[in-house]
Amino acid sequence: MTDSANITLDNVSRFYGEVLGVNRVTLSIPPGITSLVGPNGSGKITLMNLMTGLVRPTYGEIRIRGIAPSEPQKLFHLVGYSTQFDSFPKGLTGFQFIQSFLRFFGYSSATSLELAGRAIAQVGLTEAADRKIAAYSKGMRQRIKLAQAIAHDPQVLVLDEPLNGLDPLIRAETIALFRRWADEGRHVVVSSHVLHEVDLISDRVILLTGGYVVAEGQIHGVRTEIQEHPMEVLIRCDQPGALASRVFEQEHVVSAQILPDGSGLLVQTRDADRFYRQLNHLALDNIQIESVAPADDNVNSVYQYLIGGEEVSK
Amino acid sequence: MAVHKHTYKDYTGPRTPAWSRFLVLARFGFARVYHLKFLFLFSIGCLFYPLVCAAYIYLSHNPSFLALFSIPADRLPHVDGRFFYFYSIVQGALAYLLTAFVGPVLVTPDFANGAMPLYFSRPFSRAEYVAGRISVLLILLSLITWIPGLVLFAIQSSIEGWDWMTGNLWLASAIVSGLFVWIVVLSLIGLALSAWVRWKIGAGALVLGVIFAGAGFGAAINSLMRTNYGALIDLTQVAHTIWSYLFRYDTGTEMSLTSAWIVLVVTCVICLWLLAKRIRPFEVIK
Repeated sequence: MTDSANITLDNVSRFYGEVLGVNRVTLSIPPGITSLVGPNGSGKITLMNLMTGLVRPTYGEIRIRGIAPSEPQKLFHLVGYSTQFDSFPKGLTGFQFIQSFLRFFGYSSATSLELAGRAIAQVGLTEAADRKIAAYSKGMRQRIKLAQAIAHDPQVLVLDEPLNGLDPLIRAETIALFRRWADEGRHVVVSSHVLHEVDLISDRVILLTGGYVVAEGQIHGVRTEIQEHPMEVLIRCDQPGALASRVFEQEHVVSAQILPDGSGLLVQTRDADRFYRQLNHLALDNIQIESVAPADDNVNSVYQYLIGGEEVSK
Repeated sequence: MAVHKHTYKDYTGPRTPAWSRFLVLARFGFARVYHLKFLFLFSIGCLFYPLVCAAYIYLSHNPSFLALFSIPADRLPHVDGRFFYFYSIVQGALAYLLTAFVGPVLVTPDFANGAMPLYFSRPFSRAEYVAGRISVLLILLSLITWIPGLVLFAIQSSIEGWDWMTGNLWLASAIVSGLFVWIVVLSLIGLALSAWVRWKIGAGALVLGVIFAGAGFGAAINSLMRTNYGALIDLTQVAHTIWSYLFRYDTGTEMSLTSAWIVLVVTCVICLWLLAKRIRPFEVIK
């Protein structure tokens, strides 16, 4: 994937006076779904504002698919942004809101009507399109925000907490929509504090704390690189005691803990790949293994290990 | 790593010219203003004095009307610089009140609702935002100041004839320039102060307060320090000085024309600075 197809940040820092936004961030984000995760004040919004050209870096360079923020006319055609906060012009219906803001992109009245209708249909708000936004529920407001971000068919979508307030059905539909956009070759950058959702939807994650990127990449790759925390593997089997004595013979196994209900074993190992390879041999003697699954190969664990007890942003 | 194919197509159809896009904001600005009946009625009410002036011009040239009430034509005030100077004072004051009502309606909700990222994550600049908002004020204020002023000039010209018009063209240019400068200053003050206060009523009060406070402090400074420099912070005095010069009507003001222009320019610069500081796509919460 060439850099002209990626979002690239080269040693980017942004300070607000003496307040640090982000510091020395170097990233190359390919198309797909990328999640930004971090506690309050970690720099997620600054990073998103940098990606959307709303904030210029104090130091460093940014390119959004090869376009610099110094070319805003080109950049803003490329980017769709949905902020976390509700911000709607007063008195407009959902349709008027989308259609009027499309006019800023230079679409004719007819084209903006067509695009607005399409965007509203994509987020499932067609029936409520002619109602005033002020009368919308939180979930509907969230969806109309999403519609304004996608209405001009951008290549890069930056969405701040896009799943907040959505009911389970709409949430699943929205995630499917993200997946479809990503599969079409677009960038979908989302921030979320619901870590299991991040796990579910992301191709890659960027973990931030205190304005610094502490990890980025695919979850499994990031987890593998955290050497100081052995990988945890959960094994469901009929003879956990026997299996525990076997696995302890392996020098890379740090601990083996029988589950309180006796239904299996939680193993900590420094070399998960080797452990998986050896597990077939370890379980030969009539030990029935029902399932083997990584227990901490997810965003939640990575977050806990790298950022620790800091509260996830809400 | 998922393999993503670039399967979508960008829009390649025609677009409207970039320079015209601020009008989108102006259009919705008018909708926002006239959604409020009070503002609509007040705007209409602001045309009462020009109507009175138009009636005066017509009736003062109507011999049968003058004869009916035995009014000697030569004793009636002439439609001259003095006439338009007082017209400017009345309409200028109404323009100021309208600014205090309309300015906050245009800008404050955008800040109160955090709408700035919404505008600026589109191909729409801060200058275009200001142009879109200020154009609403400029058009509204023009409709109650220099445009009816020119209509009065045209009525007078049509009655008095070609010679009067050619001999008094300077009056037309004074009406346009004097009142246009004033509404530009008012619009900038209205937008700049409204951008800094999230509460509409508070923003309106601030716009009103700036001029009243300026006049009050100016008078206090003059009285306490026995100078005339206090008038420099009284924008109404500044405007009257410029109008008296433009309409060639001596009001006995002690403020120099240069000082008056400098005050207006400095006021505009301060307002633009306030707007530049405030109208940003993001907000830093400290």
